[in-house]
Amino acid sequence: MQPKPVALKVLDLASIILLAISTYLALVFAPTERVMGDVQRVFYFHIGTAWTALLGFILAAVFSVIYLIRKDLKWDRFQVAAIEVSLVFFLITIVLGSIWARPAWNTWWTWDPRLTTAAITELIYAAYFMLRQGIDDPDKRASFGAIYALLGGLSAPLTFFAIRLFRTIHPVVIGGTNPEADGGFSMTADMRLAFFFALFAFTVIFIDLFWNRLRLGDLQDNVEQLKLKVSM
Amino acid sequence: MVDKATEIKSVKVDGTPARGSFIQAVAAVVWKDLRAEFRSRELFSAMLVFSLLIILIFNFALELDVKTRRSVTAGVLWATFAFAGTLGLNRSMAIEKDRGCMDGLLLAPVDRSAIYFGKVISNLIFMLIVEVIVLPVYSALYAINLFQPGLILVILLGSIGYVSVGTLLSAMSVQTRTRDILLPILLFPVAIPVLLAAVKASNGFLTGAEWAEILLPLNLLIAYDVIFIAVAFMVFDHVVEE
Amino acid sequence: MFFQETTPDTSGYMIAGYAITFIVMALYVASIYLRTRNLNQDKTTLEEMDKPDQPGQTNAPRQR
Repeated sequence: MQPKPVALKVLDLASIILLAISTYLALVFAPTERVMGDVQRVFYFHIGTAWTALLGFILAAVFSVIYLIRKDLKWDRFQVAAIEVSLVFFLITIVLGSIWARPAWNTWWTWDPRLTTAAITELIYAAYFMLRQGIDDPDKRASFGAIYALLGGLSAPLTFFAIRLFRTIHPVVIGGTNPEADGGFSMTADMRLAFFFALFAFTVIFIDLFWNRLRLGDLQDNVEQLKLKVSM
Repeated sequence: MVDKATEIKSVKVDGTPARGSFIQAVAAVVWKDLRAEFRSRELFSAMLVFSLLIILIFNFALELDVKTRRSVTAGVLWATFAFAGTLGLNRSMAIEKDRGCMDGLLLAPVDRSAIYFGKVISNLIFMLIVEVIVLPVYSALYAINLFQPGLILVILLGSIGYVSVGTLLSAMSVQTRTRDILLPILLFPVAIPVLLAAVKASNGFLTGAEWAEILLPLNLLIAYDVIFIAVAFMVFDHVVEE
Repeated sequence: MFFQETTPDTSGYMIAGYAITFIVMALYVASIYLRTRNLNQDKTTLEEMDKPDQPGQTNAPRQR
């Protein structure tokens, strides 16, 4: 059993502390928004997770390209780690958004460009893991995963772009209510502090989880090789 | 499938210049697919019957009365094409894999992308034939004239985009353990931008929208086709390597 | 206009949102931990299986 590096242990601890501070800032420190009430506090974590998840998906597409050029399984493990953590974070983003939308827009879900793209993105990366599960050969699994992550990373922004373009050109589809305007608010200085702190905290948490997941990937690789060695 | 191997070989033996041989290799792949299909007709008949059944199901599910028909026709058509297309894509790659044709194709001294384009073209031909039959049937059943040049152009462009991603993904999905169920799961979320633009453009033509309104989804459709074909072309080597 | 002034009580939604966030994150951390633990167990068993085979084919356990 490989001991955790000290840096990772420090990062683990820092993540927990940052999460606690960020929670305090979001729940207590920031003032209550007047129109929407307490539910607006969900917004800080919503943006924090969304930002890191999108960053992770973009990173995954970059790792895809690097893997396809270099053919080094290290980049495959980077990619899996990034996508898995992002998938979890993005799920939180969607659930939080939905919870916020219920009192703010009076519905759990609307087929607005962002929500639709978010749902499709989540499905793409769920499919990514289903694809990987069906392949035993590590090199093939890595190649196929990289190709699919690349296609997915390309397709998701295209979808967003397409829906957004069509919906703004056909305002009838939206039905008169523009969700972006409905529920918008201006941040006070305290809110802004909580907001930027949440962004920072979730970035650190993301890196920490990513690192932990990366070590898990290395371990998986180790065990797989040992299995091959033993079975021979 | 002995004839296919000899065909590919004959392409190479006569020593034509590289460019010509690439096109010849693509043509050989298309030709062997079409000939095999012409003999068995299993793929085509399955796709056709399946798509007619889907239209029937939509009829019950949506209560297609005259008024709703106009607004949902584009959606029903594309859902039908997408489902039938998946069936065809899956089968056409599975045949290659099962009969060991893929290995034969890979052994042939041709560029891998020639195999990709060959499969894309033959899949596209199957899909277009099905569409050519579905369109008049739909027109007759629901009294809507679908034979408008604009709509046919959209269907052609949409099918190209769908098949170009679909061929790449089906080449991947047949090599997995869960291959029969995996293709639609992989393909649908990724193909959504193409389907979206295609539905919008078709809807524009069907409802007689202004040209400027149709032009946007049409341009998007062309752009997506180019992007997907380019990416699939670049990565196909990695899908078939052994 | 008067109704606009009073802030609606939506704290229930807020609590639900934060609860779900923490539960999902805790579940994910737990899943990483459990997977790591199981793999480490696998690894030790595999290493034990691997070792006796090393010096010839003798089944004698742990000569060195």
